[in-house]
Amino acid sequence: MVIPKINAADRGTRGQRIFRRFNVVFLTGVVILTLYPFVNIIARSFSQNGYIISGQVNLLPRGFNLTTYRIVLTDPLFWTNYGNTVLYTVVSTLVAMILTTCYAYVLAKKHLRGRTALILIAVFTMFFNGGLIPNYVLISSLGLKNTIWAVALPNAISVFNLLVMKTFFESLPPDLEEAAAIDGMNTYRILWRIVLPLSKAVMATMVLFYAVSFWNSWFTAFLYLNKLELFPVTVYLRNIIAGVSGGEMAGANGRDIGELLQVAANIQSVTVLLTILPIVAIYPFVQRYFVSGVMLGAVKG
Amino acid sequence: MHQVTRRNVLVAIGALALAAACGSEDTGKKGGGAAAGKDGAMANYGVGTQFKATKPLTFTMLHNIHPAYPVKNDWLFWSELEKRTGVKLALTLIPFADYDQKKAVIITAGDAPMIVPKMYPGQETPFVASGALLPVSDYVDMLPNFKDKVAKWNIQGDLDTLRQEDGRYYLLPGVHEDVWLDYSLAIRTDVLEEIGMPAPTTWDELYTVLKAMKEKHPDNYPFSDRWNIPTPGGNLLNILAQSYGTQGGWTFVNEHGAYWDGTAGKFVYGPAMDQYKQMLQYLNKLVKEGLLDPESFTQKDEDATAKFTAGKSYVIGSNAQSLVNEYRPGLAKAVPDAKVTKIPVPLGPAGNVKVGTRLENGIVINAKAKDSPNFVAMMQFIDWLWYSDAGEVFAKWGVEGVTYAKDASGDFKLNPGVDFLGLNPSAPKHLQKDFGFSNGVFAYGGTTQLLNSTFSDEEKQFQNVMNGRQTLPVRPPFPLSEAEREQASLWETPLADHVQQNTLKFILGKRDFSEWDAFVKELEGKNLTSYMDLVNKAYQRFKQQHG
Repeated sequence: MVIPKINAADRGTRGQRIFRRFNVVFLTGVVILTLYPFVNIIARSFSQNGYIISGQVNLLPRGFNLTTYRIVLTDPLFWTNYGNTVLYTVVSTLVAMILTTCYAYVLAKKHLRGRTALILIAVFTMFFNGGLIPNYVLISSLGLKNTIWAVALPNAISVFNLLVMKTFFESLPPDLEEAAAIDGMNTYRILWRIVLPLSKAVMATMVLFYAVSFWNSWFTAFLYLNKLELFPVTVYLRNIIAGVSGGEMAGANGRDIGELLQVAANIQSVTVLLTILPIVAIYPFVQRYFVSGVMLGAVKG
Repeated sequence: MHQVTRRNVLVAIGALALAAACGSEDTGKKGGGAAAGKDGAMANYGVGTQFKATKPLTFTMLHNIHPAYPVKNDWLFWSELEKRTGVKLALTLIPFADYDQKKAVIITAGDAPMIVPKMYPGQETPFVASGALLPVSDYVDMLPNFKDKVAKWNIQGDLDTLRQEDGRYYLLPGVHEDVWLDYSLAIRTDVLEEIGMPAPTTWDELYTVLKAMKEKHPDNYPFSDRWNIPTPGGNLLNILAQSYGTQGGWTFVNEHGAYWDGTAGKFVYGPAMDQYKQMLQYLNKLVKEGLLDPESFTQKDEDATAKFTAGKSYVIGSNAQSLVNEYRPGLAKAVPDAKVTKIPVPLGPAGNVKVGTRLENGIVINAKAKDSPNFVAMMQFIDWLWYSDAGEVFAKWGVEGVTYAKDASGDFKLNPGVDFLGLNPSAPKHLQKDFGFSNGVFAYGGTTQLLNSTFSDEEKQFQNVMNGRQTLPVRPPFPLSEAEREQASLWETPLADHVQQNTLKFILGKRDFSEWDAFVKELEGKNLTSYMDLVNKAYQRFKQQHG
């Protein structure tokens, strides 16, 4: 390992050196603080119930135990529902991206007539909505109940994401598009060939935002789907958690009291791990876009 | 992010119910006189008759997805039900975890199936004004088994508590033959043997026992209690208040302090009663002498359980399940020769009595059902499945010879190949998971014999003692109008907060009992008198109009 040689000048003043040392200690502390809950959850998910209940699990699993994982993972319904989550997330994100991009691109054009009205319509929904029951009536009279569209359509445009995207498109130099138009491109080709390739950062950010929110969402699915085999995994796991903490399960499963206590003790940590795993796995690949994308609108030149 | 809480939903429903009430011409008003559709119904259906639709019928119904026994289409329950009654049920499935929330949404949206089960008393009130529910009290003549049980077990008083402002009730509750109580105290019998005392039967005896335990083990608090959600001392104050003839703990939360004083013939505020003060004095004595852990009213269930299972305390609140599922397995690890039992609720100044309702959760029926050609058949079907002896046994135990057998004395016995509640641990099939019986949607209520049929011997002993006690009458109904309910809840919350704070202060000795009168004055400063007037007026009004 090569240790870079620092000459006397680079070491800076005494004050700077103290500051740097303080930084290292302080930031390490912050890292530990943020990582600890994650590590703790991982440790709990592999621990035995006795240790969890008495609060003895910290960084490492104690009394290594896989019962809860086995129970959840051997249920075929879990996999059906997990598959649903993947499908719903992919389709919903795709729909949401197409609709949000088109809407935002249009709004970014200052010469558009009625632009203010279009923006107001979107912003209006941030502050007011029809409420739960009218929404339910709407979805069921459209015949969307028990279909993927009940999940994908109602949340297809997030106004926050829309505004972020609009700001990004506005920041693109209009000259580029003018040049393309002079070269004979129509609006759609300009969007597809010029604007989108320049917007990878914001696109990746939006995909991430949408995908995570669809991945985690359970309420729309819970409300509009009435069949076991249609539920996403979030609804499935929520039901298990409620079952073990509600106590009704205990009467039902007299034979596996030990097993039941185990499940009750760490079902939440197992659940958290199983649901965030794919998102955590994707995150590093999107992150480099994400860093530049999320800064959008923060500084405007 | 969409975070929809239960409160949001209730508010939305309340608003919608109001709106709907203004718009719809009240469908409930007509009553049961009209000869509704009798298609498929039996002409001579009565008590003891096996219901069988005269032609195949399908009824829609809501059903939960129970995490322990998720619905399966091949349950013997469905096929046998169809064979016996000619009825198929078309289900709308809702996850157990959020059943109440979605149930509320689809009823309000007018999208509810004909039969909506698992409705707890009081939950139906928000939907009544909109006319979405059938006023079942107008149709009890179609329910001979229900009527029979109500008369035989003298349940009319309990049923009256369900009546709404219009004098009707909309919920068809599960009914028990006797009040069923489960919550009491668990006590370490090996420690009792150590100090040479029998199990306490009164609160005073409990005090003596705790004192002796403290002498033997001065380092520990002998009694460390649990169940502090949603109110501190939820269980302890509840059972203690009942034996003192007042209202506390969970019941206080549910009934907002409106305690029925039978001798005075009016409602009084529980925590302002002298009996409430005496009860607090008793608890204060336990805390002062180090017999009751001061954390009993604030700690989490897990902490209290941990103390008990580690052998650091000897008395704790208990029900049948926590005894078997938590205390015994926990103690077996830490204190292998410990013995623990659930004692009958200790008695107090109120004497050998018990308080409770004989109603269970039940079903509501979509008001649209009335216009169905199969309305009568559906009511007969409901009556048979939920209220006839044969239907109740079927829902709970299944099919004789397949899932259970009856011995000479009439006791139920599971078949060896079927497990339930750990009775046949090695059996390949499970009564709930694989056959669909003892499903909480269909099986509840009924005779004491049926209820006891799944209890262990020790739980049966507990129930025997409790059944020997005299049941106090339930409080009479006092339905409030929409505006009154709103006003009442504005008063109830500050009152309840003040009561809870000061209950703890008195128990823990932070406030002296010489200040009791001052405490009652403070309550009056929080509109106690107006609140009780409202309740008593509503009671009088209802008594005159519908009594």
